[in-house]
Amino acid sequence: MPTIELKNLTKTYGKNTTPAVNDVTITIADGEFMCLLGPSGCGKTTILRMIAGIEHASSGEIVLGGSVVDSVNKSHFTPPEQRQIGLVFQNYALWPHMTVERNVDFGLRIQKIPAEERHARCQDVMEKLRIAEYANRYPSQLSGGQQQRVALARMLAVNPGILLLDEPLSNLDATLRLEMRAELRRIHETFGTTIVFVSHDQWEAMTLANTIAVMNKGTLQQIGTPDEIYATPQNRFVAEFIGNPKINMIELSKATNSLDKVADHILARLPECAHADTCCIRPEEIVLSDVPHSHTLPMTIENIMPTGGSWVIELSYGSSRLFHSTQQRPYWRVQEQVNAFLPAQALHFFDQHHQRLIIDTPQDESLKRLKQPNQFGSNHTFEPNHPLTQPVNHRV
Amino acid sequence: MPLSVETPHHLKPDWWLRVRHSIAVSRHEPANVIAFILAVCFAYLILAPVISILLDAIFVHSGDAGRTHQDEGAFTLYYLTRAFMSRMSQIILWTPLYNTLAIALGTVACSLTLGVTLAWLINRTNMAGRRWFASALIVPFMLPSWTFAMAWTTIFKNRTIGGQPGWLEALGFHTPNWLAYGFFPIVVILILHYTPLVILIVGNALTRLDVQMEDCARILGAPRRTIAFSIILPLVRPALMSAALLIFADCIGEFAVPYILGLPVNYDTLSTGLYRSLDSRQNGVAAVLAAVIMIIGVITLLIDMHMMREARRFVTVGGKGNMDRQTSLGKFRVIAASIPMAFMLIAMVIPLITLFLSTIMTLPGRFTLSNFTFDYWIGHHLTTVALRNGILFTPEFWQATWNTIFIVGIASLCSGILGLLVGYAVTRCSFRGVSGFLRHITFMPYLVPGIAFAAAFLSLFAVARGPIPALYGTPILLIIALIAEKMPFASRSGIAAMTQLGKEPEEAARIAGASWFTRMRKIIVPIQAGPLATGILLPFISGIKGVSLFIILAVPSTDVLTTYSLRLLDYNYDQAANAVVFMIALIAWFGTLLIQRISGTHLAQGLES
Ligand SMILES: Nc1ncnc2c1ncn2[C@@H]1O[C@H](COP(=O)(O)OP(=O)(O)O)[C@@H](O)[C@H]1O
Ligand SMILES: [Mg+2]
Repeated sequence: MPTIELKNLTKTYGKNTTPAVNDVTITIADGEFMCLLGPSGCGKTTILRMIAGIEHASSGEIVLGGSVVDSVNKSHFTPPEQRQIGLVFQNYALWPHMTVERNVDFGLRIQKIPAEERHARCQDVMEKLRIAEYANRYPSQLSGGQQQRVALARMLAVNPGILLLDEPLSNLDATLRLEMRAELRRIHETFGTTIVFVSHDQWEAMTLANTIAVMNKGTLQQIGTPDEIYATPQNRFVAEFIGNPKINMIELSKATNSLDKVADHILARLPECAHADTCCIRPEEIVLSDVPHSHTLPMTIENIMPTGGSWVIELSYGSSRLFHSTQQRPYWRVQEQVNAFLPAQALHFFDQHHQRLIIDTPQDESLKRLKQPNQFGSNHTFEPNHPLTQPVNHRV
Repeated sequence: MPLSVETPHHLKPDWWLRVRHSIAVSRHEPANVIAFILAVCFAYLILAPVISILLDAIFVHSGDAGRTHQDEGAFTLYYLTRAFMSRMSQIILWTPLYNTLAIALGTVACSLTLGVTLAWLINRTNMAGRRWFASALIVPFMLPSWTFAMAWTTIFKNRTIGGQPGWLEALGFHTPNWLAYGFFPIVVILILHYTPLVILIVGNALTRLDVQMEDCARILGAPRRTIAFSIILPLVRPALMSAALLIFADCIGEFAVPYILGLPVNYDTLSTGLYRSLDSRQNGVAAVLAAVIMIIGVITLLIDMHMMREARRFVTVGGKGNMDRQTSLGKFRVIAASIPMAFMLIAMVIPLITLFLSTIMTLPGRFTLSNFTFDYWIGHHLTTVALRNGILFTPEFWQATWNTIFIVGIASLCSGILGLLVGYAVTRCSFRGVSGFLRHITFMPYLVPGIAFAAAFLSLFAVARGPIPALYGTPILLIIALIAEKMPFASRSGIAAMTQLGKEPEEAARIAGASWFTRMRKIIVPIQAGPLATGILLPFISGIKGVSLFIILAVPSTDVLTTYSLRLLDYNYDQAANAVVFMIALIAWFGTLLIQRISGTHLAQGLES
């Protein structure tokens, strides 16, 4: 199974001045399950198409399994016919004039596989993807999910070393998505294929991929495991793009001359971060309590939104707004006062170029003595007798 | 693994590397090669003739040295002056121009009014027999327009010109000249011919309208009249405009109808004037006339493009809420049907019956049993000078039929395939300039009147030039001229079909490892079989009906049915001529029915493009 190396890959369409893909360098290891994640229009599809060879690079290089397939400096280009790659298009691109079976065995026919073996392989793949019963139907007679499985089977039949998938789950309804997700995982395990898929949906990326590459406006923002990406966003874009509800962004640079009470509070508490531009905290990391303390912020509950098994609470302090999310049913009412605690360890800082700043904030002293995971799974430390260590969201 | 995100510092490859890489990429993209070859071919087949016409207008022709007092081949304003500012210019240019514009505008105005009314009756009311009319009303557009002209002269011809009299004259009614020839009959016939086109285009637009928009207005309390004028009309307006411009452009270049109904009484339009100038070897003046027609065409096209841009601002992707919403006509349901019925009678039944009857009557207009005979179809040893057998026993007729099928068949086969190739090349070619050039050049013949085009072909290909031998008198000349003439339609439908298909089916095949020929054979052509069949058959039908190219380029050995019938007409074998015309009309009609059977809705879309 080959690796995929993208080196300084850039793509500019036609006379456009802004590149669709800008200086992207990624190495995708053998057998990896990688997701290119980013908002719509950030160049994900373009990267897939370049790997497949249906677009060519404007500069940079693509190396598949050690051999250069597209390189501007070496003036080399291997056409898609010779790359032995599988690509499942976002809208499947099934051939409307061929039956499911003909769609699936097209690649095998091209390779001049003898009829018997061809039939056997085709049958095998169709059975694995549970489309064998539709073998004689035309694509227009299939549902979206079935069409997608045909598109997958068409590529898997030739057993490509690399499988590229463009937004594999986005056209499916909720139940089909779950089914397909399991399907893709199974394919990854049984076929051992290197899979690169594209998504604009973080849930899809987080639940499927081993590695995620976050992209924005054609540039690579961060590569890492889903956990890394979530826990240590390398820049402001990644922090804001990942996570639902969205991360709370606090502009520190505006603190002194604005009414942002939260920013003032953080600067007062942690003077080390004075040179940071922004700071953010995930909604579930905020700790709410009824009892005030020197490190808490008095806030008003503006809104409580149930989101099916969890709740999002909108808090305000002057003109500042924060969102908190919890899986405990809140017992407060709207307009009630609560005290919000923003643990220093949970704060992410960014400089004016929106890059992550490593700031060695003191762990909140009062919280050091006892290490006790709270119900959100993060490892903040709490002091038993301290007002803040009261189980959160429970009235004393 | 955190990523240090610094400012990108990659080396920008210099242009030479880029070019070399592009070449490496293009080597695997046959569309580029195809695009280049097509561009060269069409530059020679379309651009060269057009340029040669335009040059003809400003350089002294052989034989004109005396008149112009300049050397042959020298630059001259003589022809322009003669056409625009001489004593003759009234006759040469201004009157024909006036006549042409009057005919075009009159036709557009009347056929729009009539067509919109009929389209509304068919698509939006519960008029009796609307479904039947929907397909029947299209028929007149499939018949050659000059079929009507022949039928008209059969009935209304008077003694102003020689030959057999018309029926009315024979029955003792005198038909005035304005009724028999010139403006009035030409406009009436063109209206009958083009109204179905309006019905098609406007009807399509009406059915494509999203009824939800109407419903929404109704919910807001808008009365019917307001809905019609402030919702439906603006939304249908682009379709109306495009129909109007299409008809206008067609009328400007129309040749056969004024040739039959105008030429005998010296009622000239630009295209018959052009023909006359060619006939009297005044190629320079002819070139000026051709240029005038082309300029009108370009202006029309520019207006069309402007309108399209305007229209695109509110393109509505309707279609879903597309129910059969009808206005109830109440007790007028049946009476309303008399309007399309009358149209059918006048535009189809009467002309065809007239034509047919005229072929089985010895003397025109005498409706006695003894006057009827099938001799003109199947007789032997007739007393006429030349045509001694009925048409069906005349070898020339079968020769002409064979020529028609052979020449037009090959030409439309080629133009259908070329059209698809142009569509392929335009959508795939990586050089924008080349694909733009292809797109425009294949559309160019649309702006050039067939007569002028034929004249240019004649002057370009009549003598051997370089490796290309003299082609005059060979079917090849006719075939390539026909291909060039049909390219606007063929390329437009090819481009539309390929754009609609998109690149992905082929890309999927590439990824599966299919070579270019395999992709073409297994993917593109099978998927595009429907459009391809239409792209071949539609030019075939219109090629069979065509007059202007053949009248210039055909010689007796390459006679096709149209020129054969006109030749018969010239010799006053009216019955035989009409018999041939009748056969052409039948072929055209059944051919179109065949297309509709094969391709369903493609026809309406095809006509619109
Ligand atoms: N064929 C094309 N020609 C010109 N621009 C394109 C083309 N394909 C994509 N783009 C542009 O490149 C950018 C990236 O597109 P794409 O890779 O499709 O984004 P994504 O898949 O991430 O949504 C977009 O701004 C898009 O408009
Ligand atoms: Mg995309």
